[in-house]
Amino acid sequence: MYNTRVRGILIKGNKTYSDVSRDVLRPLDEPTPIWWWVTAGLAIIAMAWGSWAFYNTISTGIGIWGLNNNVGWGFEIINFVWWIGIGHAGTAFSIFLLILRQKWRTSINRAAEAMTIFAVMAAGLFPLLHMGRIWDGFFIFPYWNTRGPLWDNFNSPLFWDVVAISTYFMASALFWYMGMIPDFATIRESTASKIKKKIYGAMSFGWIGNAKSWLRFETAALLLGGMAAPLVVSVHSIVSMDFSVSVVPGWHTTIFPPYFVIGAIFSGFGMVLTLMIILRKLYSFKDYVTDGHLDAITRILTFISLIMATAYMTELFTAWYSGSEYELFTFLNNRVTGEYTFAYWTMITCNAIIPQLFWFKKIRKNITIVFIISIFINIGMWFERYVIVVTSLSKDFLPATWASYSPTIIEVAAFVGTIGLFVFGVLAFFRWLPTIAISEVKGVLKETTTLKSFTDEN
Amino acid sequence: MKTSILGIYEDEDVLMHAIDKLQASNIKVADVYSPFPLHGIWSRLKLNTKLPYATFIYGAVGAVVIFIMLYWMSVVSYPLKFGGKPLNTLSFIIIMFVGTIFIGTLFTFLTYLFREKMYPGKQVVLPDPRSVEDKFVIVIANADEMNEQESKHVMKMLKETGATEIKESTVNLHV
Repeated sequence: MYNTRVRGILIKGNKTYSDVSRDVLRPLDEPTPIWWWVTAGLAIIAMAWGSWAFYNTISTGIGIWGLNNNVGWGFEIINFVWWIGIGHAGTAFSIFLLILRQKWRTSINRAAEAMTIFAVMAAGLFPLLHMGRIWDGFFIFPYWNTRGPLWDNFNSPLFWDVVAISTYFMASALFWYMGMIPDFATIRESTASKIKKKIYGAMSFGWIGNAKSWLRFETAALLLGGMAAPLVVSVHSIVSMDFSVSVVPGWHTTIFPPYFVIGAIFSGFGMVLTLMIILRKLYSFKDYVTDGHLDAITRILTFISLIMATAYMTELFTAWYSGSEYELFTFLNNRVTGEYTFAYWTMITCNAIIPQLFWFKKIRKNITIVFIISIFINIGMWFERYVIVVTSLSKDFLPATWASYSPTIIEVAAFVGTIGLFVFGVLAFFRWLPTIAISEVKGVLKETTTLKSFTDEN
Repeated sequence: MKTSILGIYEDEDVLMHAIDKLQASNIKVADVYSPFPLHGIWSRLKLNTKLPYATFIYGAVGAVVIFIMLYWMSVVSYPLKFGGKPLNTLSFIIIMFVGTIFIGTLFTFLTYLFREKMYPGKQVVLPDPRSVEDKFVIVIANADEMNEQESKHVMKMLKETGATEIKESTVNLHV
């Protein structure tokens, strides 16, 4: 039982059930706001620039990137891992918090899941591009071919990656869509516009909401969620194996899977925080995404930040304790000091030190500072991937082949393009879909908010 | 045409008590429409679902099928050695794990749609459209088979248990 005396009121403003649908659906009926057009315009410009980079890469080849013989992975893999990490928040929010019976997740899970979908889309573009000959991309599927038939190497982490990410995308998309079906039915029955009634009616799949359909819905949601939960852990573990099954110093460690998974959840929650602060400001959802909700996310981030710090220290300790000269060299001479000092210490500062400010209640209550720190986390997690990918590759076993890496304008453009794609996707979600899970909020409304015997205010 | 009596309630707890009282006086509650899942209702209406068994079967079959596929491709069809590792390796487990989830998730969703007879673009008319908004609707079926005294009794009971509105409907969806 949710106790509002302990946890505070979840949804503010004494909402009734119809208030919830009205508030959440209001932005769908209002004329498109100016900020939407401006941001969408910028996102489209970014996507256009990104398309230019994609066109150049595909037509010329990946030789136009800043990669060299030593640093064979650069911006593309950094960005791929970064986006996949961000894409972990939705499922982490929906599933882990569902299992932990955290009712505050109901205001946030829909937006977090939407973010997951678009982040995974953005991530998926990079491996495609990195194939070089993208027109031969279908080689990755184990299909009946005339070369033997020659099948895939099922021991290759790169193949595991393809399987894991496409499964993750499908599972998240189904879970997200299924959660929206009852809300589409609410729009279908309440909208005055005939076109909307048709479109949302078609998307609601004929939802009726009787006892049996709710039973099946809840069961199916729990099953899909239960199956997606191990996927959250496995996807980023598999991504980390792209690195850790190699023999490159700095990559070849057993800490990688848990370190990557926790990093992914950290960056995902960071991005959720960024996005929810924007969403509640633009749509005045402060009654739904209350300061208490943001406070809960910041507390989680503080804890995960400590785990991140532990992971960083463990890496350093292991580099020394293993007695491997190469490992120690990579960490001491190429990360802590040396050419990539800036990237390394940015990572440490943004991920392990700055989030510790959340220990102070004053800082947690100041939404502007919380927003700025969430941006720092996003930046810090990008630098973490930069440190992992570039520093290890640039100086390996053979000093004669040491090389530095800096991205070309094409690589930067491809990255900006995927940011454009992500922002555009999120904007489309803000504009046309119910951004808060209406039926789930209604489900916890009475217990967490209006039940008189449990409230302090009444 | 079959007619049902609808009792419309404003509050979920009032609704729960109403179901108990109706059932205690031998009135069969055929269905309940609500804007969100009410967990107490399923045991009261004696509803259950076999969906978890279906999911388990999909997962188990999926794992086996994927293992057979991997084994056949790597060991039987084209036994190609990679890095001196055995042909039938433990690392199959990763693809089996993810593939099991893939098959389990996809087919659970499809089974859900199939059992609910839901598909894109399906048109439905609800007994009372407010049930997806903020009202809870109790359906008492087969009102046309009742005599006047019986239907009056049903309506009286609905009123007594806190229904704010009582009406008749000819919409019969899952009844």
